[in-house]
Amino acid sequence: MKHILVIDDAATVRMYHRNILETAGYRVDEAINGIEALEKALVKPYDLYIVDVNMPKLDGYGFLKEFRRQEDLSQTPAIMVTTEAGANDRALGYAAGANLYLTKPIKPHELLSYTRLLLGDLA
Amino acid sequence: MNNLLEQFLSEGRDFLQGIGEKLMQLEDEPNSTPLMTELFRFVHTLKGNSGLFEFPEMTRVLHASEDLMDAVRNGRVGYSQDLADQLLDAMDFVGMLMDEIEATGEISKNHAVPAAEHAQVLRSLLVVSESNADSNSDLHTSSEIKSEVNSLLAELPIFELEESVAEELYLHALEGETAFWVEYKPESDCFFKGEDPLFLMRQVPDTLWRHIILNNTAPILAEMDVYSNQLVFQLLTTAPSEELDDLFRYVPDEIKRIEIPALAFVRPTGNQDDHAIDIDFIDNALALLNKNNISVLTQIINTMLELSAPELWSSSVLRWVLRLLEHEPDNKTAQHALLKSLQTLTAPDWSAPAEHVERSDSKEVEHATTSVNVRKTEEDDELLQNFYVVVNAQREILSLSHKSGFSWTAGRLKSIASTLMGCYRAVNRECNIDNVLERALAENSPTPLLTWLEESLANNEQDVEIEVETDFSEISTSSESTPNALISDHKDAHENVVHNEAKTARRVDEVSTVVPKTLKVDQDKIDRLMNLIGEMVVAKNALPYLANRAETVFGVRDLSREIKAQYAVINRVAEEMQDTIMQVRMMPVSFIFQRFPRMVRDISRKLGKEVELVLEGESTEADKNIVEALSDPLIHIVRNSLDHGLEQPDVRLAAGKNATGKLTIRATQESDRVLIEIMDDGKGIDPKIIKHKAYEKGLIDETTLERISDQDAINLIFAAGFSTVEVISDLSGRGVGMDVVRSAVEKVNGTVGIESQVGKGTRIHLSLPLSMAVTNVIIIESNKQIFGVPMDMVVETVRVPRSQIRTIKHKQTTVLRGRVVPLLSLNQLLARGVEQLPNEDDEFATLIVRVHGEHIGILVDEFRETVDIILKPMAGILGGLSSYSGAALLGDGSVLMVLNPRELI
Repeated sequence: MKHILVIDDAATVRMYHRNILETAGYRVDEAINGIEALEKALVKPYDLYIVDVNMPKLDGYGFLKEFRRQEDLSQTPAIMVTTEAGANDRALGYAAGANLYLTKPIKPHELLSYTRLLLGDLA
Repeated sequence: MNNLLEQFLSEGRDFLQGIGEKLMQLEDEPNSTPLMTELFRFVHTLKGNSGLFEFPEMTRVLHASEDLMDAVRNGRVGYSQDLADQLLDAMDFVGMLMDEIEATGEISKNHAVPAAEHAQVLRSLLVVSESNADSNSDLHTSSEIKSEVNSLLAELPIFELEESVAEELYLHALEGETAFWVEYKPESDCFFKGEDPLFLMRQVPDTLWRHIILNNTAPILAEMDVYSNQLVFQLLTTAPSEELDDLFRYVPDEIKRIEIPALAFVRPTGNQDDHAIDIDFIDNALALLNKNNISVLTQIINTMLELSAPELWSSSVLRWVLRLLEHEPDNKTAQHALLKSLQTLTAPDWSAPAEHVERSDSKEVEHATTSVNVRKTEEDDELLQNFYVVVNAQREILSLSHKSGFSWTAGRLKSIASTLMGCYRAVNRECNIDNVLERALAENSPTPLLTWLEESLANNEQDVEIEVETDFSEISTSSESTPNALISDHKDAHENVVHNEAKTARRVDEVSTVVPKTLKVDQDKIDRLMNLIGEMVVAKNALPYLANRAETVFGVRDLSREIKAQYAVINRVAEEMQDTIMQVRMMPVSFIFQRFPRMVRDISRKLGKEVELVLEGESTEADKNIVEALSDPLIHIVRNSLDHGLEQPDVRLAAGKNATGKLTIRATQESDRVLIEIMDDGKGIDPKIIKHKAYEKGLIDETTLERISDQDAINLIFAAGFSTVEVISDLSGRGVGMDVVRSAVEKVNGTVGIESQVGKGTRIHLSLPLSMAVTNVIIIESNKQIFGVPMDMVVETVRVPRSQIRTIKHKQTTVLRGRVVPLLSLNQLLARGVEQLPNEDDEFATLIVRVHGEHIGILVDEFRETVDIILKPMAGILGGLSSYSGAALLGDGSVLMVLNPRELI
């Protein structure tokens, strides 16, 4: 079973993502900020990271930059999910290391479809 | 209510609390960047959360707040008290919406208008301060406002327009003339002010559509007041805004005016019942649109129009498509959406597609499994579309380095390759990327991957489609900004990279993670646990009785001892359990203290007074019920202090005091009681005024007036119906006085006292029990019945010899340590008509109780032991007996009635 880490400071969002992904048969872990996410990922790498931008302590950009620097983790795809919809925000996300940049509110089937694409899973 | 919603509400309340606190802190340090960032994050996250549900009213207000806070954070808008006021108001509104969601599961439609008003006010702060900001942010704001307007638009009755009128308006709007929707809601007594609403509306030039509706519901004919206005007028006009301003200059508050973008008029009309247009035709048309083959598209649409009846809804859609093709040839998105609407049979929603779709989506999470098969083909379509989104994202990333020139790491390249491989695998396409990746890794350059990707895409012969799909993907991924995407252009992509560098340069090990190990539990569950513990304590108390019976009735002494030993164990565990549960119920008084900074600030500003609020001992804990019961009395006292106690700054200066008044609220714990003190350094209470007031109100007679001490006079403010201020202000003195405070405090076994010095200030102190779960009572016997009396009211127990009882003015009294104590017989109080029984030495058992600060002796027959009981208020008709505070079960199963001496005497 593929293992996904959802990184968001809002418990509601984490629960929302977890509901969608677990219904589809993925295993989901949660982290409340970039630091916790890094700690968790370093202990046990995940198959996909879904990252919020605006978080306390270490935000999504910071997490991705640091994450891409880690030898063991850097090759894993990461989706950045955020409310910042501007084109330059997207460029920032890509520059920081995201493989995909999605805008909230993200619909359940959208999230699922992109997750499958990035993980190479057939529906 | 589902779990996700509960989670949202519970988390949302925390955020609101946080926002309030941060705003208060900002007031002290208006330039603190960390505070602003934190504040922005709270608002931002809350808005993000609300977007998961269909609460457009809430999201709208939060969105406006977020934009405002963003502007404040970036220094584009200065922080001001007015701004804080508006934000606090908006958050109160959001809190109110949350309460409503919690109660009813939804938000009533009535809130749409206040929500729009809140958003409007917040945005006006933004616009005013941004008028001289750079053009880029201006663009942003105005498009934001447009999206605001658009979502309002969804509620307007434009769909009732005839197609020809709509077309005319659409063309006008396209030509750059602004179309306004005007709603005029005259006051009900407008006829008496010389207004003629109908005439006024007929004055509006260039009106293309007019409509009159009833305000609210039609009143019953018999009750209808024909002289009051019940109507609301609506119209659409292309008149210039200055002209409208001029026309409505006398009634600006009753006018709602909204500028309407051209697309909003594109609403197909007609008969929708008939069967839909052939699927093949729609697919064909969409394909032609994608290939940009407009001439053929126009041709087939015209043919179709000739074949179908003109009054059909689908015909209307097709006519609109033709108009769009003619007048807005570049707006492929809108054309596409219109054609798509032929499939769905619902008009494209130009305003807020995200919110609209969300309703079905949140259900989708729950029903995902059931509906999978039905939507299989749709999902495949979506997967393919998303495939191009992801692939294009990789292309964008790979091209990125050319411009910003950052160095590539192996991991980054691998992540892109693995993403591409995943994508291709998911849609069953070949992806031989391994060699390419190795070359890229060797060169440490994205170029091989980019070249491969471009080639692969070209080979797919679907370049046209990809371009189109990419356009749409932009819209679908930025659903919130859809209206902007339809109306305005994108911003430059790479302007902010420098900013980003700074943002991400933080060090990882700067802060360590602290995950609070707390659990949020429903209070009902704790209460249930508390009740169960109570029952267990009672059941446990049966064991000593059982031991006694074993010994006296059955004569088994050993068994009795064993039962007693076991009882000791159970007793210890039960007591520990009770303590633990009580600990759980304990909460810090900061729960109520935290609202005071805001309240004191609001009130003092309203009164024009300067007040410094000092809070002490906020971490002092007490039972939840006690803390909650404390809330209203405290608010009342604080209001009193602000309103009557503290003086205006000039008065204070004249009296030689600091212009800023000081209000201190302090909580401390003393053994098993919580003490709360509220102190102000205001003008104090003048006993003379109190005395006269009390005399005028008939609360005291003339002799008392002469003799009463100053302290006793001040205590009179606790008397029922006492209020010294003639003019009733909206802050305090609404006919409820300090007597209400006292009864509220006494209800939870608390006491209240007051000290005051004229000119120096006032100190009010409350003393409350830490917990009210367990009550310690003394059991007394009277007339062969047993009763309980709460121990915290009992001063002492004495035996008074009959010879010591004197009768003064037909009332029995005795002198106890030099103090005259009135005596009352319990039998008399309970109207038993029997004398109390003295003991062999002719002494009466007397319970000295403290009632309203006075000592009173109650004669009873005999004292028994004291016990801890769980006091249950009496239910039903017995609940009306105020001389009892409740009943409790004793260990032997009998019921103990607990007296309430305050009411009894």
